[in-house]
Amino acid sequence: MSRADAICAGVALAATLALAGCGLGAGGKPTHVSLLVTEGFGAETVLSKPAPTIVGADTVMRMLERNANVTTSYGGGFVQSIDKLSGAGSADWFYYVNGVEAAKGAADTKLHTGDHVWWDRHNWSAAESIPAVVGSFPEPFVDGYGGKHLPLMIECTQTASKSCKDVEDEFASIKLVASLSCLLCSEYNESLPVLVGPYATLTSAPAALKLAGPVSASGVYARFEDGGHRLALLDQQGRVVRTAGAGAGLVAATRYRGQPPTWFVTGTDSAGVAAAVQAFNAQTLDGHFAVAVVDDAAIPLPDSAP
Amino acid sequence: MSYLRRASPLHAARASAAALYCAALVTAAFLTSHPLVLLMLVATVLAAAGACGVGARVGRSLWLSLPMGVAIVAVNALVTREGLTVLARLGDGGPLGQLDITLEALAFGVKEALVLVVIVAVAALASAAIDPDEVLRSMRRLSFRSALTATIATRMVPLLALDARRIGDAQRCRPQPSGRLAVMRAITANALDRSLDVAATLEVRGYGSARRPARARRPLSRHDLAFAASAVAIVALAAAWPTHFSYYPTISGSFDAAALAHGGALALAALAPFTQRRGISR
Repeated sequence: MSRADAICAGVALAATLALAGCGLGAGGKPTHVSLLVTEGFGAETVLSKPAPTIVGADTVMRMLERNANVTTSYGGGFVQSIDKLSGAGSADWFYYVNGVEAAKGAADTKLHTGDHVWWDRHNWSAAESIPAVVGSFPEPFVDGYGGKHLPLMIECTQTASKSCKDVEDEFASIKLVASLSCLLCSEYNESLPVLVGPYATLTSAPAALKLAGPVSASGVYARFEDGGHRLALLDQQGRVVRTAGAGAGLVAATRYRGQPPTWFVTGTDSAGVAAAVQAFNAQTLDGHFAVAVVDDAAIPLPDSAP
Repeated sequence: MSYLRRASPLHAARASAAALYCAALVTAAFLTSHPLVLLMLVATVLAAAGACGVGARVGRSLWLSLPMGVAIVAVNALVTREGLTVLARLGDGGPLGQLDITLEALAFGVKEALVLVVIVAVAALASAAIDPDEVLRSMRRLSFRSALTATIATRMVPLLALDARRIGDAQRCRPQPSGRLAVMRAITANALDRSLDVAATLEVRGYGSARRPARARRPLSRHDLAFAASAVAIVALAAAWPTHFSYYPTISGSFDAAALAHGGALALAALAPFTQRRGISR
């Protein structure tokens, strides 16, 4: 190998390592990251930092350790307690980045610009996995998830309906351009779909079928019954607390297999969809896993009513 | 490394007191997290070995612990997710996850390596300064057959090594020497034959019907008492001395006079019995 070849090989190796995120020191720092720590499915805020301390290319775990009193186990890969609130029994700490449950441990998840990191200690006896939550809205539509930006697609049962237009307007108010399309029209395109329409008309979407199944499958503490004409609200243990009929709406998110999260602005009928559209804004959804609307009242899920 | 009788207080002490002393040194290493105190503990063990006349032999054991120590530092740096001061980012390591080398993980690895160095050095000191036969004799009352088995096994190991050397020499004299496997096979066959002989001899001599031996009364010497007291003092100092040093999430602690005093106190407690040389034959 000549000297020039050796130099080329060295430069190529250095470039490959740099592209793979390798290097000396702490690395580049992501911006506009926020941290929220809550308890009981977002019911109580433990810590909220819109601009937490970050040093270089931190992981989710390292950022948490810099900003809260954290104890870990399993070589620093598992959060045992945050601010002296420890996981015990069937309650543990879970985290969501831009409203999406992470596939990897917090020590292996790198932060990206615009990430909203949400740690929540909750009871997992009813659902061990909650694939997506709505409480980080307008994420993941603004900054994507896992460092990946995906196009926003509003899929409506009736694209000309007022509900569809209102959802589009809500995104427009946060300067997001959405594509309007018919239901399942973007099935083969990787996008972030928001399904709008009465639940009975959405069931051709595989992710929608989960909303009629158990909470362990959907991660949503509500389920549609009676062909989508009734909405059962569940408590933390997955028990039905109340059942709503006509006019009930739901804003929730779930994932079908490894696909991007699917959001639902839906209801038992058109009035229910209209009610859900009213709740589809950052103020109402903030810090909640999902929101049901019954009798014009927004109810955070899981339902805590007796 | 094997036991050699020397004129030293540790050699003069009974095996149980000397073993207690060595166990206390190892316990102190586990209880201590301050790297300076651990370094001073390593120096203390070397000084104790020097006082026993086996300093060079124990010093050589440090070469054995060096590669293991380096491996501990490397593995801890790669596997541990803790620590906030990132020194290098090695990217996604597949099953190992995100490989970030942190200062804290490196420092903790060094601390673990120092603990290992102490353990290896103390083990070398124990094997050089504690009579293994006396240790086994003291075990006889607890488990007669285990002590007998251990005694025979320890006697057989050098014999097997001698066999291997002898058979290896014989193999090399052949025009086409056979490999290590053939030597191993021959040694194994020899060992099995010998085990039958040993078993038959033990049977003939009545070892099978042996009972638990009576306690052999032997008054405590000043060396026994000194090393036992030293062991208690070492463990007490290691456990109770408030020298704070933590590694995660950030290194917290300092190399100050308190740490020096802690290491010094441990050294004093560990080396004090060696000042008593009265009654030691040269």
